Amino acid sequence: MDKVKLVNDMVKMFGAEKVLQSELERYTYTYDSSFASQQNEYYPDVVVRLESTSDVSKLMKYAWDNNVPVTPRGAGSGQTGGSVAMTGGIVLDLSGWKDIVEIDDANMQVVVRPGIVHAELNAALSPYGLFFPPDPGSSAMATVGGMVSNNASGLRAVKYGATFQYVLGVEVVLPNGDVMKTGGLKSKALKSVSGIDLTRIYCGAEGTLGVITEIRLKLLPKPQSRGIMLALFEKLEDSALTVLDVFKAGIIPSGIEILDDGGIRCANMFKPDLNIPEVEAAIFFEINGTKPAVEEEGAQVKAIAEKRAKSVEWATDADRMAKLWQGRAVIGAASARFKEGKTRIFAGEDVCFPISKVPEALKRIKAISKEFDIPVVIYGHIGDGNMHTAPIMDPLIPDEVTRTHKVAEAIHRLALEIGGSTTGEHGVGFARAAYMEEEHGKALDVMWAIKKAIDPKNIMNPGKIWKLGRE
Amino acid sequence: MQSTYKMNFTEELKKCVKCGTCRAHCPLFVEIKGEPGSPRGRLALIKQLHEGKIQPSKELAEIVYTCLLCKTCAVECPSGVISDEIILASRNYLNEVMDQPFIKGAILKGFLTRPGMLYACMTLAGLYQKVGLHSLLTKTKLYNLLPEKLNAATKIMPDVSKKPARSRIPTVTPAKGEKKFKVAYFIGCATNHIYPDVPVSGVEVLSQNGCEVVAVEGVKCCGMPHMAYGETDTAKELAKHNMEILLKDNYDAVICDCASCSSTFKEMYPHIFAEGTKEQEMAKTLAAKTFDISKFLVAKTGIKAGKKEQKIKVTYHDPCHLKRAQKVFKEPREVLKSIPGVEFVEMKNADRCCGSAGSFTVMHHDLSMKVLDKKIKGAQATKADFLATSCPTCTMQLSYGLKQAGSNAKVVHPVQLLAETYKD
Ligand SMILES: Cc1cc2nc3c(=O)[nH]c(=O)nc-3n(C[C@H](O)[C@H](O)[C@H](O)COP(=O)(O)OP(=O)(O)OC[C@H]3O[C@@H](n4cnc5c(N)ncnc54)[C@H](O)[C@@H]3O)c2cc1C
Repeated sequence: MDKVKLVNDMVKMFGAEKVLQSELERYTYTYDSSFASQQNEYYPDVVVRLESTSDVSKLMKYAWDNNVPVTPRGAGSGQTGGSVAMTGGIVLDLSGWKDIVEIDDANMQVVVRPGIVHAELNAALSPYGLFFPPDPGSSAMATVGGMVSNNASGLRAVKYGATFQYVLGVEVVLPNGDVMKTGGLKSKALKSVSGIDLTRIYCGAEGTLGVITEIRLKLLPKPQSRGIMLALFEKLEDSALTVLDVFKAGIIPSGIEILDDGGIRCANMFKPDLNIPEVEAAIFFEINGTKPAVEEEGAQVKAIAEKRAKSVEWATDADRMAKLWQGRAVIGAASARFKEGKTRIFAGEDVCFPISKVPEALKRIKAISKEFDIPVVIYGHIGDGNMHTAPIMDPLIPDEVTRTHKVAEAIHRLALEIGGSTTGEHGVGFARAAYMEEEHGKALDVMWAIKKAIDPKNIMNPGKIWKLGRE
Repeated sequence: MQSTYKMNFTEELKKCVKCGTCRAHCPLFVEIKGEPGSPRGRLALIKQLHEGKIQPSKELAEIVYTCLLCKTCAVECPSGVISDEIILASRNYLNEVMDQPFIKGAILKGFLTRPGMLYACMTLAGLYQKVGLHSLLTKTKLYNLLPEKLNAATKIMPDVSKKPARSRIPTVTPAKGEKKFKVAYFIGCATNHIYPDVPVSGVEVLSQNGCEVVAVEGVKCCGMPHMAYGETDTAKELAKHNMEILLKDNYDAVICDCASCSSTFKEMYPHIFAEGTKEQEMAKTLAAKTFDISKFLVAKTGIKAGKKEQKIKVTYHDPCHLKRAQKVFKEPREVLKSIPGVEFVEMKNADRCCGSAGSFTVMHHDLSMKVLDKKIKGAQATKADFLATSCPTCTMQLSYGLKQAGSNAKVVHPVQLLAETYKD
């Protein structure tokens, strides 16, 4: 379609203040946090910022009639290029649409618009003693629309699971502009098995099946109390075995995080007063619940860890907990500043291994790092096998870029080889589309059939999940 | 891309991995919303400029100038990107390669329709003129662009203060009691002309706490406004001039009551002179000697308050140039808490920028007012009688905001309240 006409039509339909059209403005929508998007500049033809279902419906009808691709976008904090427009068209920025439609504390649920940021939502829920449990590291910037679309989760996923477990229903503007509501038109039910679960299909659809314009979320009561334990292991295997023993004892901590030796070194370098002994693994346990339960479970986890760990410390007072947790808290920033002149980038950063295979996987990732001579800092959610691998490199040196791509490729392949997944929480986007065939086989065809049924013209976020050219 | 403000653009810009954390913290982004209004967006465009993929333009300049330089994004950035300095350096570059036509747009778009801002603008323009910053006004074309009435008003010179602080303070004020330090007091343009009671109180407080205070004569503007508008060459001249005077006698310390002046001395001067030059050495020496007044009282003299009680409730707003630039935030609170009778209450988001950012409030009036609105709501919720802060531009902005909101609370510098305790 003629680009000038497209822009003019958008201005006519929504007003100039909602339309970003200059080259500079459009450039700022060519990236998210993924390395992949920063290596390929995919410009949208126009960016439209909307804040109502009727406007989104109008936009989709127009796109449908004119065969214009539409890429929904939240905060653009995704790590897979999900919110960039690979084939041009319209980027629909929903991050300004932040309304909380209703907090229904009696029924422990909330209805929100897609642009509300995770941390903002939880701040608003706090006075009600409620919270929306998935907790991505990007809580301060990720929108709930983006979280649903990527089915995000975080370091407490081991206890609370991922976003999909809390989505009771969504309002979606379909590719042809029609509006539908999943989970029951008037439902306030916390459970429903009425019909095929369309809500679930939209959790992780990455904007390929329509635009989510409203979300009904289940909430949980905020836990009363928490405790933190730091256990240091001289052998990596012992750390993984300890985690398994904790589960076998019937305890589900709210978080179980690992720093391997590289991660420990990196955290110490960033904050020398942390002074974590240079062992093969540091495991951080978080236990939450009622006060007596936290004390009781904490004591049990401590006893289990002491069987293999070199040292264990358990704390429930706020200052000490903050101190113990610091190593985990600083690792994101610490990996970014690992080496002067180098940058931490997001590629191959989110693989998930079977928990029993985590020690093997970590060793092999180290070998990959060595083979391609790209340092990789490893940390992550050992409680569910979801590891964050952070390549440290110089994006301005072409050879390092090539080697980094190889590292990411090898890490993805490793996950598939040992029975894991290429992505535990960040999603596919276009950065991982190449692995979908191998990861899913026939199931990818069925996913495509669903996609074609809902979006026969393939105007919704083309190039994501399925590689461009699939049709 | 070269800039007088020392900056290795390649290395600094490389650090941004576009995680978007800054979107959560920028006080302007929450108001502007779209990605070009985020620190990440601004940096992405500066990187394009640096790599020669885009050219300097009015649109780019407008984006680069839509920043409060409040440092929040820099402080919160996990990758350590010094975004505010990158913005300053790129403004400097744009200023050198462009004729600043963008200023015009900003002015005409913004404040002139707001009668309430007339005063602020007159004050600012009047102040600039009074302290001899004609060159900045001329170069930025501010003069030409002001509408006739306003232009005339600035030429008539509004009475920005009753009597400047300088004329009320002796050159040397002896220490009361045992002399512990001999300090130079830098009276900045804004406190001198707009809030003269601040330096008067500052000198009194220092003298009460064992300092011989020299209100150094002949100093000029610290150069902050010039830096913010990319006029680095003028800022350098001012820096040289001020350094010569402030380092001539061997003072134990150079004291500022204005957060922007002290942060300019501590942060910016060392950045604008080439490595290894005599000027850079001087800048480093001055940086090491410069103290915010509250910091000096807490760290060096200790605070000895007077006996007169102040039965008042006080809250405190952290100026960006003090909290984030100098990590000074406990000290002004300690000064306030040392005052007999004062009930100190913390306000919500005390360290959030007030939206003033020097002349930002004039150039981007609507945006600035939105940022201010949040601040004022936080201050009002404390029901404090006094909103203390350590920066004259914050004071101007906060006073305006409180007045608009119908509040009777007064904005003061912490040392003004402390000085009251010495009066019988
Ligand atoms: C530092 C950092 C830490 C992170 N930590 C975690 C973590 O711990 N766990 C985790 O899961 N993720 C994490 N992420 C990844 C990312 O933040 C999440 O995937 C997040 O859910 C994306 O939200 P967003 O609003 O930024 O969405 P975007 O990146 O803007 O979009 C993501 C996808 O959702 C689609 N989309 C967005 N809004 C809508 C809508 N309303 N309707 C339909 N489709 C839509 C987009 O088209 C795109 O495909 C992290 C990212 C960063 C930078």
